[in-house]
Amino acid sequence: MALIELKHLTKTFRGKTQTVEALRDINLAINQGEIYGIIGMSGAGKSTLVRCINFLERPTEGHVVIDGKDLSALSPKELRQLRQQVSMIFQHFNLLAQRDVRGNIAFAMEIAGMKRAQIDRRIDELLDIVGLKERQHNYPSQLSGGQKQRVAIARALATNPKIILCDEATSALDPQTTASILNLLREINRKMGITIVIITHEMSVVESICTHVAIIDEGTLAECGTVEAVFSQPRTEAAKKLIFRGAGAGSVLMGRRMVRIVFDGETFNEPIIAELVMQCHVPVNIFYADTRDVGGKVFGQMILQLPEDRLQQEKVLYYLQNRNLHLEEVDANAH
Amino acid sequence: MPIEKLIPLLAEGVRDTLYMTTVSTLFAYLLGLPLAIVLVLTAPGGLRPMVMLYRALDAVVNVLRSIPFLILMILVIPLTRLIAGRAYGSTATIVPLVIAAAPYVARMIESSLLEVDPGVIEAAQSMGASIPTLIFKVLIPEAKTSLIVGATISTGTILGYSAMSGAIGGGGLGQIAISYGYNRYQTDVLLVTVVLLIILMQVIQVLGMYISRKTDKRIRE
Repeated sequence: MALIELKHLTKTFRGKTQTVEALRDINLAINQGEIYGIIGMSGAGKSTLVRCINFLERPTEGHVVIDGKDLSALSPKELRQLRQQVSMIFQHFNLLAQRDVRGNIAFAMEIAGMKRAQIDRRIDELLDIVGLKERQHNYPSQLSGGQKQRVAIARALATNPKIILCDEATSALDPQTTASILNLLREINRKMGITIVIITHEMSVVESICTHVAIIDEGTLAECGTVEAVFSQPRTEAAKKLIFRGAGAGSVLMGRRMVRIVFDGETFNEPIIAELVMQCHVPVNIFYADTRDVGGKVFGQMILQLPEDRLQQEKVLYYLQNRNLHLEEVDANAH
Repeated sequence: MPIEKLIPLLAEGVRDTLYMTTVSTLFAYLLGLPLAIVLVLTAPGGLRPMVMLYRALDAVVNVLRSIPFLILMILVIPLTRLIAGRAYGSTATIVPLVIAAAPYVARMIESSLLEVDPGVIEAAQSMGASIPTLIFKVLIPEAKTSLIVGATISTGTILGYSAMSGAIGGGGLGQIAISYGYNRYQTDVLLVTVVLLIILMQVIQVLGMYISRKTDKRIRE
């Protein structure tokens, strides 16, 4: 049986002037041990969805079943107890500003009613896991974003939860810090078997850590399954839009301008074109290529067709010039 | 006025003023703190929205805050007699002082509590915090700095009210200023009481701000 089951989940917000249907008939099953990514454009309803999982938002219709318990059938007290099994971390960390690192981690255990000595011992274990021992007496204002999120993760782990919900947990962090936080989450998932649900708008987060993914589009579940299945063969428009976003394959007009790159053995065998495309976010067409690898050095030539857009052309040329490649413009009609 | 008479008179005045101010502030907080907590909890969008109760309390607070202090003092004279046994003197003045200050204090506390980051409250809820836990472990400790600043301002305001009460039978420095400085044209006494009031206000302000800064963990050291 699935650890988290969402059945016909619907959430409607009634304002004075308008009614917003944030979620519409969502059905999803998340199994023990999975790292489940929930991705969508901003405003798609992801944050509402994750808040329904621990009933911070009560669904208007439908059921949330965690570990066999239907949340709508629980008393307020039972719901609070269940929340100790379903931890949450946030985009803006949400630490208590007036408590130090130890105090913040202790907070979750104070709520759970643990004894002081037991709390202190557990804090030491948790500080080891998240690697913040030397920061234990600092206050949040003295920590970096990544350190704050580590404190939040330690706090989330404190009560030995079955599930950790992450609401855009890396969206306020730089790429390196994001990677280190994702590594920590992956480690927690592997070593402790904790199921992780990750809400994000960043494709790279899902690609780097998730086993499964659900795509939310305008309040509905567009597609879900393993990451490989959904990413390799997206079926819906919403999924395609997310997965191929920015690449714009096929939609960019190729221009008449071409450039010849001459490899004279000065350059090493690096994936120049792949790097060019990734860094400039500009597609190029390899019109002609004849290169040979001689002892790790590249000889030959390659002709690239540049896009129609003038700015994108300049970006490509600038990038290639800075890689110290021999370039020359080619007349397209000459070939 | 000869100095050997003036000094004990002023000393008594300072003592009475401090007595009225501290006791009134204390009682104002005893009433104002629970009132503020109920306002914050029951407000629309609060942790336990109860619109009718909120509106009723909100209206009471506004009405009490609208009545000028001197007029309030006169209005509550029967109540003052009932509680303190008489309507003049320092102890009796505490009754109208508390009635005037409690709603003021409630508003100060309410605004401090509303400043607490909603994200932190949500995080505590996600950990399974109950309402009392949210109040005593999140709202009040996180609003601490702002609450101390508010207490400083409130104490200063109550000090000012207590001096005003001298006009109609209250005790302390205000009474000395009015009966000697105003009724008997002893300008020197008037000036000295004013200087003493300024010093008291300064002490409260500087002390309050010092404590609030010292205890604020959001400041990088």
